[in-house]
Amino acid sequence: MRSKPAVASYTSRVPNHNPTRTVPGAANKRRRVRFLLLLGVVALYGISVPWYRSADQPLRLWLGLPDWVTTALLCYLGAAGLNFVAWHLTEIPEPEADRDRASGPEA
Amino acid sequence: MNPEEVAVLAIGVYLVLLVAVAEAARRARVDRSPDDHFLAGRHLGAFVLFFTLYATSYSGNSLLGYPGEAYRRGYLWIMATGFMMAVTVVFHLLVPRMRPIAIARGFVTPGDWIRDRFDGDRGAGALRIAVAILMTIALANYLLAQLTAMGVVASEATGGRIPYSLGVVGLAGMILFYETLGGMRAVAWTDAVQGALMIGGLALMMGWLLRETGGLGGVTQQVAALRPDAVQVPDARSCANWASTVLLLGFGSVVYPQAIQRVFAARSARALRRALGAMSFMPLVTTTVVAMIGVAAIPKLQALGVVEADSVMPRLLGTWAAEGFLAVGVATLIFVGALAAIMSTADSVILSLGSLVAADLLGRARHDPATTRAGKRLAVGIMLAMVAVALLPRTTLWRLIELKMELLIQCVPSFLLALYWGRLRAPAALLGLAVGTAMAGGAALADIKRIAGVHVGLLGLASNVAVCAVFTWFTPRRVEGHSWDAYS
Repeated sequence: MRSKPAVASYTSRVPNHNPTRTVPGAANKRRRVRFLLLLGVVALYGISVPWYRSADQPLRLWLGLPDWVTTALLCYLGAAGLNFVAWHLTEIPEPEADRDRASGPEA
Repeated sequence: MNPEEVAVLAIGVYLVLLVAVAEAARRARVDRSPDDHFLAGRHLGAFVLFFTLYATSYSGNSLLGYPGEAYRRGYLWIMATGFMMAVTVVFHLLVPRMRPIAIARGFVTPGDWIRDRFDGDRGAGALRIAVAILMTIALANYLLAQLTAMGVVASEATGGRIPYSLGVVGLAGMILFYETLGGMRAVAWTDAVQGALMIGGLALMMGWLLRETGGLGGVTQQVAALRPDAVQVPDARSCANWASTVLLLGFGSVVYPQAIQRVFAARSARALRRALGAMSFMPLVTTTVVAMIGVAAIPKLQALGVVEADSVMPRLLGTWAAEGFLAVGVATLIFVGALAAIMSTADSVILSLGSLVAADLLGRARHDPATTRAGKRLAVGIMLAMVAVALLPRTTLWRLIELKMELLIQCVPSFLLALYWGRLRAPAALLGLAVGTAMAGGAALADIKRIAGVHVGLLGLASNVAVCAVFTWFTPRRVEGHSWDAYS
């Protein structure tokens, strides 16, 4: 059987390739914030579906759209913002090959 | 020159531009390895990566299928914004864990993950082949949807001067040409051109529709008068279908082979983070706009009587083009943008299909240049087969997407569950996959689409995960260490 490079260091919960992330407290805080942001995304998805509204309610316009549509769109706008920040806080450990390539030319 | 002749000319100019981009990509080629052909040497930067992810995600389905669905279902189709955004949300589960492993071990195809993760397990080979078969069927279906959409757009834009069949055959030939010439690099670069055309075209079209119908309020009032059901608060079954579609598309899209390969192809983790972060906003400026266009078409196309769902967008553009020379120019730009979006998805799919069949199904060595050649030949074969199917009578684009997703989502446990649960072994994943696929496939054959609004594929996934969990629960832990036990 061929030998595999170890992966534990790539997937461990405290990657420290970036010097700005070497302080465990700071790394933990980033992870906590990211987790809360993603929880926020899930909550907004829950609100976007109008399961809590009665289907026979009369049409009410809000910003030119039925109010349940505007609510859904605002939820998605919020979710996009939170998801954007969450991606910027996401730690994707970089193996050596990855970091070497990052300094090379783009395709 | 009439609008139809302008459209033929514009399509010609666009195809010449694609040939030039493909030639530039061929010159940028480093070698003939599968890494270079299928993953652009893993050097895609944030900008190109963003556009290739964008152009690949927003396809013929988005530009033809989604307006058709919005036209049929009204404002309920705002759910499309949610499910397209769900893809970048669910990617949080896959990317941070899989990307480092993929880079460290040189993965080229999704099957490399299965081979590596379940290495040494009984049934690992069967699981890899089963996943590859499901992915191939799903991608072939997706390719069929794109070919159908290409034929519709080319025919409608040119008033039949380019017939449907010639649109399918000719444009498929063009895709094969530049994909074979420049591989992933050509696909990604043409995606960047195609993505820019698509954004510009949609913004112009929305502006025209709002001006024509008196703004959003005007559209809503007119739709409410003609079709009250299109503005009503959805009932419980529709809400269940909304949530089910978000989950189906969110989880199903994460195991798209072409999406997984873009995760492998990114130049760096930072480029990937930036591209995926920016992608969060794209459903708001693309899917929402497309859904609004479909709703605004309700009063606009009322006079035309019954309109086929997939023809809503071309009909609207045709109506617009009749208004004058400037409108002809802008409508033509949008037609070309739509064609660009469709072709950009089709090229990514055919590239992925070639690598998937060559490496995962036929077991070719993943770093051997012979695999590149085999992948190219297989891509041609698959394209020819799908072109033949596309020329036959068809179902709606949206139903093709649902069918594809219901099968593809059965691969999710072999990726996401396997990433987080070290105890999961190949026999359990294989059994779960078989049960989920039997449920989803059996329901499709029996023409059962949903149960209480929930997609049968999603119920199949629930059974799939349950089987994985129960089988693993009753399987004793392996005494010897396994590198994946770190995930337990």
